[in-house]
Amino acid sequence: MTKTLTLNNQNFILHPSGAMFWEEESMLVISDVHLGKVSHFRKFGSAVPQQAVKGNFQKMDAVIAFFKPQNIVFLGDLFHSTLNKEWLIFATWLEKISAEVTLVEGNHDIISPLKYDALGVKVTPEIIMHNFLFTHHPEERAGFFNFSGHIHPGVKIHGLGRQQLKLSCFFKSKDQLILPAFGEFTGKHILIPQGDDEVYVVTNEEVICLND
Amino acid sequence: MRIPPQAKDRSTLVNQKQLIKLANDWFKSRSWKSFAFQKDSWKAFLDGKHGLLNAPTGSGKTYALWIPIVLDYLRQNPDYKTKHKPGLKAIWITPLRALSVEIEQAANRFAQDLGSQLTVGIRTGDTSQKLRAAQKKQMPDLLITTPESLQLLLSSKGYEKTFKDLNAIVIDEWHELLGTKRGVQIELALSRLKTVAPKMKIWGISATIGNLQEAREVLLGPGSKAFENSVLIRADIKKKITVKSIIPEKMETFPWRGHLGLHLIDEVVPIIRKSRTTLLFTNTRSQCEIWFQRILQKYPEFAGELAMHHGSINKETRLWVEQAIRDEQLKAVVATSSLDLGVDFAPVETIIQIGGPKGVARFLQRAGRSGHQPGKESVIYFLPTHAMELIEASALQKAVKNTVVEDRIPYLNSFDVLVQYLTTLAVSDGFFPKEIWPEVKSTFCYQALSEAQWEWLLNFITQGSQTLQAYDEYKKVGIEENGLFKVNNRAVAMRHRLQIGTIVSDAVLAVKYLGGGYIGTIEEWFISKLNPGDVFTFAGKNLELYQIKNMQVIVRKSNVKNSRFPSWAGGRMSFSAQMSELLREEMFTASEQEFENSSIELQALSHTFERQKKESIIPKKDEFLIETFKTREGYHAIFYPFEGRFVHEAFSSLLAYRISLLSPITFSLAFNDYGFELLSDQEIDMQQVFDNDLFSAEYLMDDLQKSLNATEMARRKFRDIAVIAGMVFTGFPNKMIKTKHLQSNSQLLFSVFRDYEPDNLLFQQAFRETFEHQLEEGRLRLAMERISEQKLVWKQCKKPTPFAFPIITDRMREKLSSEKLEDRIKKMMAQWGDL
Repeated sequence: MTKTLTLNNQNFILHPSGAMFWEEESMLVISDVHLGKVSHFRKFGSAVPQQAVKGNFQKMDAVIAFFKPQNIVFLGDLFHSTLNKEWLIFATWLEKISAEVTLVEGNHDIISPLKYDALGVKVTPEIIMHNFLFTHHPEERAGFFNFSGHIHPGVKIHGLGRQQLKLSCFFKSKDQLILPAFGEFTGKHILIPQGDDEVYVVTNEEVICLND
Repeated sequence: MRIPPQAKDRSTLVNQKQLIKLANDWFKSRSWKSFAFQKDSWKAFLDGKHGLLNAPTGSGKTYALWIPIVLDYLRQNPDYKTKHKPGLKAIWITPLRALSVEIEQAANRFAQDLGSQLTVGIRTGDTSQKLRAAQKKQMPDLLITTPESLQLLLSSKGYEKTFKDLNAIVIDEWHELLGTKRGVQIELALSRLKTVAPKMKIWGISATIGNLQEAREVLLGPGSKAFENSVLIRADIKKKITVKSIIPEKMETFPWRGHLGLHLIDEVVPIIRKSRTTLLFTNTRSQCEIWFQRILQKYPEFAGELAMHHGSINKETRLWVEQAIRDEQLKAVVATSSLDLGVDFAPVETIIQIGGPKGVARFLQRAGRSGHQPGKESVIYFLPTHAMELIEASALQKAVKNTVVEDRIPYLNSFDVLVQYLTTLAVSDGFFPKEIWPEVKSTFCYQALSEAQWEWLLNFITQGSQTLQAYDEYKKVGIEENGLFKVNNRAVAMRHRLQIGTIVSDAVLAVKYLGGGYIGTIEEWFISKLNPGDVFTFAGKNLELYQIKNMQVIVRKSNVKNSRFPSWAGGRMSFSAQMSELLREEMFTASEQEFENSSIELQALSHTFERQKKESIIPKKDEFLIETFKTREGYHAIFYPFEGRFVHEAFSSLLAYRISLLSPITFSLAFNDYGFELLSDQEIDMQQVFDNDLFSAEYLMDDLQKSLNATEMARRKFRDIAVIAGMVFTGFPNKMIKTKHLQSNSQLLFSVFRDYEPDNLLFQQAFRETFEHQLEEGRLRLAMERISEQKLVWKQCKKPTPFAFPIITDRMREKLSSEKLEDRIKKMMAQWGDL
């Protein structure tokens, strides 16, 4: 069900949830969860029941149980907006997480780093390990392979009988891999692959490489 | 003091004769002649009866009921000339604000000529704040208002005092309200007013519909005292209607599909020239804009004599157009259903209907806009936009001849409207459930409401439902110590008042010039597709988008020729049951091959029919046609029940679902009023379809529920329900919430109820409405039973047939799949090739 990418002799496992696991470093990378997005709707006129909020946490629990990582890196946009009720749920959730948690800041992350610090979450603009660069926005930097999020990549595919599907995907170009958005209710941005680009679409069960 | 019954009777009788003489004299003074139905109405009203008056517009129906209201007042207040008793005495409900002025003029004319001193006032959404305040202090004797404004009055403090001396309420155009949630609002308001104003007589006025008796029952309450003491009066005015089809000279070049009909523009112009004033009815606002523009482009000499009228154009312009029609300043007006109703336009001699009107009643209504005066002939031209519509034209000819009209199906158990109504009562003076329960139960809509449901609803407005209990937003109504249900929070009350109503439309934005000046309103989704600098056509003008700010679209004039036309949602209508039946009959006639004896429309179509017969067949009465063929798009299977698009929508997803159970398959579905298509990348095993009896009406409801579609459709319905029940707030008048947000809020609630609270009544209502009103489950069942009697004829064609063509080219499609997503992706990859 997963797909493994080997880059510079390191193994990166792509998971159907949209998360990625760096085997050698035991590092789980999750991008664009947008916690609190659901609660954010409250501001626009309606209250949202608590049950809808739980989905993202259950999904994270499942993928952590699967890889058992020592490190967890959120590639930005962990929270959609300012502090709201979901921050408390997040704090409680963190208590049972034994792995080291790091947040690479994204454009939506406007909650003060001091708040994260208090929960033991390290906040940083980017991470560099070996010649891998982890950022929220996709970047091209000479000598590095870049992992990023932000875009919520998706592709549209067509088939006979006027069929078409829009699917979330890992989007790989020469020195870059963009992770799909992990969070529910986040939407996707359709990209059109060119040249050497590789597309790994995710379904509930599988990661499928469209280039195979 | 007891009056012996006989004596009392005699005194009213004498009185009544004198009273009616007053009215007759007044008619004579104007050199008018009163109709039998008017006299019947006067008498019935003065006898204290309730009732329903069946009379067409322009027949003098206002005088049929306003006159006895005045006479009754004179009878009760003999010194009326010197002493005026203040306070509200009668209410006149009209579904369209535009009609209120005409009614006011007519009412004033009679009231003043008799020196009754009675005053007439209007209260609608357009009424100024100042006038409203003045009315609150001193109500006019007759109030002309809308269903929404009446509800608003029920939400104001001390409303019982306002209404207590009400002697009559008239619901005008009742056929327009019946079969809508606005009608339910009226039922509820009447149930309250019956208690508050025990002397009130209830009257409805309705055009001819299929279920007039039921209309009376809904209005007055089934089995109620009012119903027992009521009459149905029919005007029986036979109107002569002439229907003419516009048939192109060269049928060979007539398109097989399309919906604009512009190719016939040159045939339309001579008709306009020949007549005093012509109304051209289109089915959508964008079609209206395009026709207006194109006529002026091709025939610039009409400039200044041609106008346009639709619901998105600002009110002043619309009123100006209406007045200009009356004053005979216009040669022609391109309009939508905004001109269907009401106002009397004497100079209109001719109507042109562009494209199929989908229903007989609508067609007749529009035809009746010409030759409006009693005794005159109505002339309507039918302009088909594609070849197949000529069959509709032929069917309409028959409908007019045999006066076939549709039923209006009233809503049942609309929980959303009841939630809104109960909150309304709680906002005003509060209510005791045990007093309101019997009133609600006495209405047609809620006659089957159970006590458990009632308790659930009370709980919903006070506590929120099971999954929403954690949120204060949903605890709108408080229960006071004495058991009174009341809203004491001012913010809740204000929000509620802003949102009273049952018409939920997409968010609209005001269109204004950069230098100021309001042009009209446009739907958000259209404008969101445009960028600053883009040019679009609106209200007949080419406008350049400058910017969008605070839900306002700022534009300036543009000279660019190529522009986009806004399209408005809601343009897709479906054939009514009556229309479908007529259409099938026409089809059978065509299959008989005797064109010489058939209508000129069918004769004109002979070319298309020949082609259809060459590739396939025209089904006979006992045949059900299925066509299959392959194109580069995939494998097409077309089924022809001829039942209207709504039924076909349900039928197609039902059949697709049943086939998908046989083996994994993915379908793209399309449908129109004639039939539907199942398109797939695999060939359907038709023999399996026959062998497994997939057209059976057994397990219909169950299978429909499961066919994926139902949930999606219910989700869309739920948005309106959530708004009406006040679960989502649509915003303040100048700060409306974006449709996008509204959508996601209601969708979220829908998902939560689906997953955690499936017994929520409002959630269930969304499904019920989908099945009963949208999918027309009842009609689908009948259609399937009919098909089970027919012979299935499966034609394997070489290429698309004339019947199939408009369906397979439709781009509005639904999907249904029983394949695993992963398998579909892999299959598409194989078909897709290079990235």
